[in-house]
Amino acid sequence: MLLEARDLWKSFGGRPALRGVELSIKDKGIVSLLGPNGAGKSTFMKIAAGILRPERGSILVMGRDPRDPEARSLIAYCPQEPGLFDELNSWDNLMFYARLYSLPEQKAREKARILLEELGILDHASKPVGKLSGGMRKKLGLAIAMLAEPPLYLLDEPTTGMDPGSRRDVWRILREIKADGGAVLLATHYMDEADELSDTVYIMDKGRIVASGKPEKLKERYGPPSVVEIMFRRVPSQSSVEDALRGLEHTWSEGKLRVSVERPEKVVPRLVEQLYSLGADIGSVRIVKPTLEDVFLKLTGRRLETSEEK
Amino acid sequence: MRRSRIKAFLVASTKSFFKDKGSVFWVIAWPIILVLMSAYVFIPPSAGSPMTMKLGIVNHDASRSPFNGSSLISVLSNVKYNGTRLFEIKVYKAEEDMLADLDKGKLDAGIIIPSGFGRNLTLGTALLKAYVGGKSIYSIQVNRGILESFLCGFAREIGLRKANIALNYISGAPSNWTHPSQFNATFKEFVYRFMVGLVEPINTTLVEKAPKALTERPRILGWYVLGAVGMMMLYSGFSLGATAIVEEKEKGRLERILSTPSTPADLLAGKMLSGLLILLLSSIVIILSGLAVQAEVRWNPLRPADLLVLLHFLLLGVMTISMGFLLSLVSKTTKGAGNLAVGLGLLLSFTAGIWFPKEWMPGALRMLADVFPPTWSLDAIRDIVVYRVGIGDVALLTVESLAATLILFLLGVEAYRRVIRRYVEA
Ligand SMILES: Nc1ncnc2c1ncn2[C@@H]1O[C@H](COP(=O)(O)OP(=O)(O)O)[C@@H](O)[C@H]1O
Ligand SMILES: [Mg+2]
Repeated sequence: MLLEARDLWKSFGGRPALRGVELSIKDKGIVSLLGPNGAGKSTFMKIAAGILRPERGSILVMGRDPRDPEARSLIAYCPQEPGLFDELNSWDNLMFYARLYSLPEQKAREKARILLEELGILDHASKPVGKLSGGMRKKLGLAIAMLAEPPLYLLDEPTTGMDPGSRRDVWRILREIKADGGAVLLATHYMDEADELSDTVYIMDKGRIVASGKPEKLKERYGPPSVVEIMFRRVPSQSSVEDALRGLEHTWSEGKLRVSVERPEKVVPRLVEQLYSLGADIGSVRIVKPTLEDVFLKLTGRRLETSEEK
Repeated sequence: MRRSRIKAFLVASTKSFFKDKGSVFWVIAWPIILVLMSAYVFIPPSAGSPMTMKLGIVNHDASRSPFNGSSLISVLSNVKYNGTRLFEIKVYKAEEDMLADLDKGKLDAGIIIPSGFGRNLTLGTALLKAYVGGKSIYSIQVNRGILESFLCGFAREIGLRKANIALNYISGAPSNWTHPSQFNATFKEFVYRFMVGLVEPINTTLVEKAPKALTERPRILGWYVLGAVGMMMLYSGFSLGATAIVEEKEKGRLERILSTPSTPADLLAGKMLSGLLILLLSSIVIILSGLAVQAEVRWNPLRPADLLVLLHFLLLGVMTISMGFLLSLVSKTTKGAGNLAVGLGLLLSFTAGIWFPKEWMPGALRMLADVFPPTWSLDAIRDIVVYRVGIGDVALLTVESLAATLILFLLGVEAYRRVIRRYVEA
């Protein structure tokens, strides 16, 4: 067992941040902790990294208390903020952490070069990292975690605020870690990231794990059979559309209407006709597979993205 | 293992410190500016030698006596104090010209020698008139004192000569003279000693005890160069200690650092060593700049006392950084901690005998200077490298500084632990 958390509780100033979290990582691969901002993901990661102490419950990292220095040499924790020396360049930052893990200097330098190259930072590696873009700094933070090649990575939102290119880089790296036999606990609020990368997803909301399992299984179990995604060029009035949709589970996101349906072939023609008659100008209608977003909606009654705004 | 982790903090903290322009200004540029200002503004090349009074003289005396107005002028222009001429004489024809210059501040004092001065000096009382000026009440007082004490001494000298001359006119004891039983002297001796006593009833032996800071210029400069080192140590040491943890927290490094195998003790050791290295490097640069302006700072590694200097630099660094850890208890942000550290560091530099000699401080502050441990170490360093005292003379100061450092260090470590616990529960 790489990581095992049982009934973890933690509160800040009387307000609970974790409420009986159970989470385990048995084997190599990627486990996601998916939840909106404020769900308690970072709190969990910090407890797993031995920085915070749970109030109740137990957590073991490879059989050890995470606050034990032995356990800490078995993990690499990359916080949301990458934790860099802004005045120093990428090399110096990497070597700083390499020394904290007591890695042999020569080896660390070689490994650092490979990582910088792979993440596309090598050309900027001698600039003070304070001058790098946010995405590049986050990638450097990830590179630091990879220096020590630990059996378990604890990555807290490694792609938040990244441009799509960098995000792809990170995803590729995470798959490589997995291929090399590493295990990753990935905290994220991007459902597509969790969906794309995870072997197992833990969905977290308000300090609780509300569901867990393989993404496919979760979608099968909690998601609707299909989702109809309608794009409008012009929406007549949202309230009249709402009338037409009465009885159907649906959400709006970025001008898109998503409707959960059992049998799309029956519902779609009628729905389109109704919308036309209300004066809507429809751009496209697609029938798509449900996503983890739909799972979250089903479980919590809220959308991941809107909850994030709060 | 632990070596590697401490090295991590040592290298990264020191490097990032010197890459920050603000820090470099405070630890290097500002102290050098202070040294240069000391050499060219506060302690101008004329400093360290006693003052010379500018004295105007109008001489109306044309007596042919053995001692007259011209003789007085020549004595005045030759009199010295600690090797420096006490008066710079300018002779005027007209009183009005002299008084006008006195008004303009071109003279510190003026003397008018009336006619008949020489003759009256020989027989009777010679008259003399003096005006004393000055730039402030204080300097008028000083000028008056100098002139008055010179003239008193001069009058005494004349009196002694006259007593000697008078002896020539005494042949023998009058018949009604009886030998006073308590004095074993002849009549002539008796009269002589009596007259000398008239002229000089009291002869005071004066020993000057100036603060060490106020000796010759190279030593004054040496004193201030170490003052600049001390001031830098205070605000930089305070600041390094006060910001050590809160900065790691604010930059988001603290949690990541403590998730690695390194412990809070490694962080403490690394921060302390990097702080000491920064303070040592800047001290060396400041002292070199002092040597460049001819300050007296001597160090010879073969002299046993000089090795103590290294110890005291170490103690100063540990003391100030530890005090910085104590400051971190009351500051919640890096900026706040930095401002508090620099403000307090400067304040203590000015009041606790670091930058201004503690002898200048009024009562209560003088006490502060006496009980402020960094001043002990700094004074020990000054005693050794500026005044070249031996081990014996700084032994007590060294023991006291060591004890104070140990106590401050333990307090600092406790403060550090508390501050760490404020942020992480590791
Ligand atoms: N150090 C802290 N002090 C007070 N409240 C905190 C602290 N850390 C987290 N919280 C609170 O705990 C809850 C969970 O936060 P967090 O674990 O950061 O969520 P997430 O990482 O999922 O966004 C939030 O309500 C947050 O405000
Ligand atoms: Mg978070």
